[in-house]
Amino acid sequence: MKTSDWIVPGVITVFSCVVIYLSLQLDLSPPMIVGHSMQPRAFPIFLMVINLILIGLLTYQFYKNPPASIPLEPFHTWGTIILLIVFYGLTVAADFFLAIAVVMFLMCILWGEKRIPVALSTALVTPFLIFVLFDQVLMIRFPRGIILDWYYG
Amino acid sequence: MLEALQAMSSVILDPFLLLLIFATTIIGVIIGVLPGIGATTGAALLLPFTLTMTPVHAITVLATIYVSATFAGSITAILINTPGTSAAAATTFDGFPLAQRGEAGRALGVAVVSSTVGGIFSVIVLCIAAPMLARVAYHFRPPEYFALTLFGLSMLASISSGGAIKNLIGGVFGVWVATIGAEPTTGIERFMFGNYDLYEGLSFVPVFIGLFAMSELLVQSKKANQIASAITMKAVKLPTIEDYKKIWKTIVRSCGIGTFIGILPAEGATVASMIGYAEARRWSKNKEEFGKGSIEGIAGAESANNAATGGAMVPTMVLGIPGSGTTAIILVGLMVHGLRPGPYLFTEQVDKVYQIFGAMILANVMFLVMGLYAAKLFARISLVPISILWPIVFAFAVVGSYSLSSALMDVWIVLIFGTIGFFARRHGFAVAPIAVGFILGEMVETNLQNSLKMFGFYEEQKNNLKFQNVIFQTWAFAG
Repeated sequence: MKTSDWIVPGVITVFSCVVIYLSLQLDLSPPMIVGHSMQPRAFPIFLMVINLILIGLLTYQFYKNPPASIPLEPFHTWGTIILLIVFYGLTVAADFFLAIAVVMFLMCILWGEKRIPVALSTALVTPFLIFVLFDQVLMIRFPRGIILDWYYG
Repeated sequence: MLEALQAMSSVILDPFLLLLIFATTIIGVIIGVLPGIGATTGAALLLPFTLTMTPVHAITVLATIYVSATFAGSITAILINTPGTSAAAATTFDGFPLAQRGEAGRALGVAVVSSTVGGIFSVIVLCIAAPMLARVAYHFRPPEYFALTLFGLSMLASISSGGAIKNLIGGVFGVWVATIGAEPTTGIERFMFGNYDLYEGLSFVPVFIGLFAMSELLVQSKKANQIASAITMKAVKLPTIEDYKKIWKTIVRSCGIGTFIGILPAEGATVASMIGYAEARRWSKNKEEFGKGSIEGIAGAESANNAATGGAMVPTMVLGIPGSGTTAIILVGLMVHGLRPGPYLFTEQVDKVYQIFGAMILANVMFLVMGLYAAKLFARISLVPISILWPIVFAFAVVGSYSLSSALMDVWIVLIFGTIGFFARRHGFAVAPIAVGFILGEMVETNLQNSLKMFGFYEEQKNNLKFQNVIFQTWAFAG
């Protein structure tokens, strides 16, 4: 097995162990309430034990038939993940719909749209139409921000 | 029976519902022809829009998306060799070669007729089988429900091509996700880290939008700049009498196969179409034509995948165990609208159930018309550049998830589960087992707890025998 083949079993094993540890920190419920049933911590621990057994089987499977190596994602993919983080930051710091418009525009460009006016109109018209639909038809109130403060007053 | 027919036919007298089915069929076909979106992602994106509708209208929208998108995947499969949905993958084997020979219209005609027959057949089976199963399920208690959910989870092993072990790991992760929040019996907080937005657990809709729509967006980003080439097509024409003679046995066989596979928990239209195609080839007198443009191959795959849609609704509505990724979303839709899936649905709200069935039949007829007269137009939609399409999907995903409970936490959940789903898929783990595990998580834990309370797991081992027998029998059956 190559070193990279250990990443998936390793990550899931660590995750399972962390969940077991966190489960062991949970409060115990009085026996009166639990009765013959189980403590709230028991079920997650039971699940993670099953997970560890399955990881053992997966590792054995990888040992017998090493998986094909996964090529690294193109920059579009990593760029899109970064845009999701940008979206989070802009929503918290500025405005929900401003964040959507900016991320849509950047995503259009990142994914290969060379016509700037097309990317710009997509990024402006789509959030506007969605806002009108949800605000006027479905009566949804969106979180306040730079733009929506001005709209809501 | 008369009441059922009355309820089903009442659909035709509701003009708003008819309009809704018509509009949703168009949306469903568009979703189906857009490569990568598919019925599951489409239903997840449309779920927030159904919140203001009545339960029957909302479930009709989701069910119509399911049947029409499942069919529409075949349009691009035939015309540009790109299945719009995974269920249409088998249709490319013979559909595209036929299109290359200049017989795209014939291929689409066979596909649409086979899909319609498969879809209507499965809804008829649903109408007959669901109430019968509901009568049996009416007597189920927590141990039986626990055994059933365990059976559903064990079936996750074959839900996708990722491999049994990876699917099961995904299912276990999904069940664990369902434990986040306050434990229902004792109120003890689990994995909340002091965040009281998570007190009632994670909502289904943002998790599903994240797992299906957002992770698909990241997967599609690999295909940026990819351009599809279109096949020219004159018009869609119905199969000839000779064609019908050639394919009717295949359609009948695939209808049975598709419906049966659809009924099995966690098995969906993709598996059905593959088996339908393989069986069509096995029973055919012209095996050598398969892969080169056999209409039997198209009929086998298409009637099976649409027959699976009605079949998958049986365990979803009667037992609350989803038969596929899309029915998992329909299940969420039922719950959001206060229709608790289970046998009581067939005694307390039977008229609504049959209205939904009637709407499904109508949706099948609707896409027959659209498939025949507008397939060429819809096929052009698939040529929309993904650099425009997926940013729009992103906007709908985040706004849709926010609108459910007007909480930004739901938007963050979409982003987190989208990223988890993407990395899971990158390493060969499908997201459908996570989604189904998440749906079944609460059911499996609650029914296990109630079973333990009923039989006293630790102190009353003798009484426990019956409970254990149910589990072992289920596992034996699943194995």
